[in-house]
Amino acid sequence: VTRLIGNPKHEGLEDMDVDMELDDNETFEKALTETGHTATVFNEEAQALWKLYENKTRILSLSLTEQLRLILEPTLSTKLRGDYRTGKRLNMKRIIPYIASDYKKDKIWMRRTKPSKRQYQVMIALDDSKSMSESRCVELTFESIALVARALSHLEVGQISVVSFGETTRLIHPFEQPFTAQSGANVFAGLSFMQTKTNMKSLVETSIKLFREARQMNQQSDLWQLELIISDGICEDHQEIQRLVRLAHFEKIVLIFVIIDAAGGAMGAENYNSKSKGSSSILDMKEAVFTDQGDGRGPKLQVNRYMDTFPFSYYLIIRRIEDLPGMLSTALRQWFSQAAEAG
Amino acid sequence: MSTDAMDLDSASISAPRVQINLSTRDPTLSVPLQSLRVPTNLKRYGLSTLVNHLLETAKPIPFDFLIDGQYLRTSIDEYLTQAGLSSEKPLDVEYVRSQLPPTYIGSF
Ligand SMILES: [Mg+2]
Repeated sequence: VTRLIGNPKHEGLEDMDVDMELDDNETFEKALTETGHTATVFNEEAQALWKLYENKTRILSLSLTEQLRLILEPTLSTKLRGDYRTGKRLNMKRIIPYIASDYKKDKIWMRRTKPSKRQYQVMIALDDSKSMSESRCVELTFESIALVARALSHLEVGQISVVSFGETTRLIHPFEQPFTAQSGANVFAGLSFMQTKTNMKSLVETSIKLFREARQMNQQSDLWQLELIISDGICEDHQEIQRLVRLAHFEKIVLIFVIIDAAGGAMGAENYNSKSKGSSSILDMKEAVFTDQGDGRGPKLQVNRYMDTFPFSYYLIIRRIEDLPGMLSTALRQWFSQAAEAG
Repeated sequence: MSTDAMDLDSASISAPRVQINLSTRDPTLSVPLQSLRVPTNLKRYGLSTLVNHLLETAKPIPFDFLIDGQYLRTSIDEYLTQAGLSSEKPLDVEYVRSQLPPTYIGSF
């Protein structure tokens, strides 16, 4: 039995509630055979890559799902119930009578009977800029994407979209479509980590626009919008971004920044004494700022900590993939409790 | 001198930035290994100001800068453009005592 990290209560979980939806792996195999003839080698590679990272992060992803369920689910009123001929999940209590009746008592399915009161729209924003590959963040980023996307799609609390950003911001997966293994492959195929700029301003602007449109399309009165930005955290125009972050906050869009700090992790380990150039944590990064004091003595130089002006209020710093589920759920819990206090 | 000093005036907070890795072969002038982001419109003078700041020199030492074995005579931004590089990649910058006569930076 696989033990869920940090959640021992869920051993042998829900044995009366068997999820009959295809496992993502089966969906994946199906997608492979369906598109087998037309799929390019490129797509097959992306699918293989997605499968690899999905498998790598499977246990951590389950852990995140369960932690998020505890945070998000009390706000959902939906229950699976009833006896139906078709539905979402099998009602195990009806299985033996079903077989005993020679398959005549076939109302063996449960459905969601009440619409959820609260719906979530989660946008995952991925940094596709070259600094990501330069700072060796790609591996940890792939792991984070697979972990988060899979956990959220298992949670079934709403819609997921994915955008990439760099020089330009691009929508890879829209809210309207379910997030499948093929979507994951499309996300990986859409990333190059070669974009020569990191336009974080454009990302936040575009995100606000996409969230506004998505809100109009969605009839739910209680719609919560959340964006997870996965990036090395390096960007310019901190003041201007901060202004946009406040605007997003005003529009009830929650922004959580996941900083991939691969170099920070490496420095903490055996490489500590090695003189690997510039590979240190974002927490140690400094910034030279020249400002004119207006005293006629010319610009004054200050060397500040980079993170002192970091424009996002909610951020977490990930050095090992194992840290992500716990840190992300802690950040969300903090945000929810503050949102609850604010009413 | 005046054009050289101009780069500081335009180095505003929102200017594009690049990470540099500063190094020197002179052990008496080395700065701690660190990740440092600087405005790309800096030229020799701005970088020299920065190294002096990091060294906490009582009396400024004029420095010259080498990137990929070549003396930096333009702004970092112009160098990146000419070399076909982007500001997404950290830049290795070596500094040496300036070969120019001290009077050049006499008014520093
Ligand atoms: Mg970047």
